[in-house]
Amino acid sequence: MSSTAHTHGEGHSAHYPRLYINRLGYWLFLFSESMLFAGLLASRFYLQGISRPEELSQSLGLGITVILLVSSLTAYLSETAIAHGDRPAFLRYTLYTMVLGAIFLGGVAFEWTAAFQHFPPSSPFGTVFFAMTGMHAFHVFSGIVLLGLIYYNGRRGAYGPEDAWPPEAIVKYWHFVDVVWVFFYAALYLVA
Amino acid sequence: MTEEQARRVRVGVIIFLVLAVLTGVEYWIAVSMTGNLLPLSLIALAKVGLIAYFFMHIAQIRYREGGH
Repeated sequence: MSSTAHTHGEGHSAHYPRLYINRLGYWLFLFSESMLFAGLLASRFYLQGISRPEELSQSLGLGITVILLVSSLTAYLSETAIAHGDRPAFLRYTLYTMVLGAIFLGGVAFEWTAAFQHFPPSSPFGTVFFAMTGMHAFHVFSGIVLLGLIYYNGRRGAYGPEDAWPPEAIVKYWHFVDVVWVFFYAALYLVA
Repeated sequence: MTEEQARRVRVGVIIFLVLAVLTGVEYWIAVSMTGNLLPLSLIALAKVGLIAYFFMHIAQIRYREGGH
C-alpha cells in the first residue's frame, strides 16, 4: 500500500514540480481570501450607496495609500534580491517593508480615533468603515509578522536563489494586501 | 548586482511610478467630480492588473517547470 502510494506520488511530482504546486495552491488561497474582502466591499455599497462622509480625511487616506504603495516596491525589491542571491539587499528591503507597514498601521489607528467621533461603529458607514479597515489592518499586521519571520530566518542564512519560495510567498501575500487596499481606498475615500 | 537583477529592479521602479501616477489621478478625480464610480473602478482594475502581473508574477502559474 505504502509502496503504491509512494510510486503514485512520484508520478505526480514528475509532471507537477513542487514549486508549481506551491504557486497554484497559493493563488487558490489568495482567491479564497479575496472572497472575504469582496463581501466587505459589497456591504459598503449596500449600506452606504455611493456617498461618503465629508469628515473623512482625504490627505490621510492618500498618505497611507502612498506608504502602502512604496512598501509594495520594497517588498518586490526584497524578493528580487533573494532570488539573485543578494542577501544584504533582501534583508534591507524586508526591513523597510516592515517599517512602512507599521507606519501604515499607525495611520489607520490615527484615522480611527477621529472616525469614532464622526461615524461610530453603530452607524451604517461606521459599520463598513471599521469592518473593512479593521480586517485589512489585521492582514497588514499578519504580513508584518510573516516578514519578520523571513527576516529572522534570512539573517541566519536561510533562503537563496534555489530556495526562494518562502520569501516569494510572503511577498505575494504583501502585494495581495496592497491589492485589497486599492479597492478599499477607492470605495471608502474616493467614491462619491 | 547582476544584469538580470538590475533589469528587474528597473521594471519594478517603472511600475511603481505608473501606480503612483494612477493614484494621483484617482485622487484628482475624487476631489474634482462626483458620479465617479466608473472611472475610479477602471483605474483600480488597471492598478490591480499591474500589481498582479509585474509584482505578483501571476503568469508564473502557467509554467509547470516552476521557473520564471
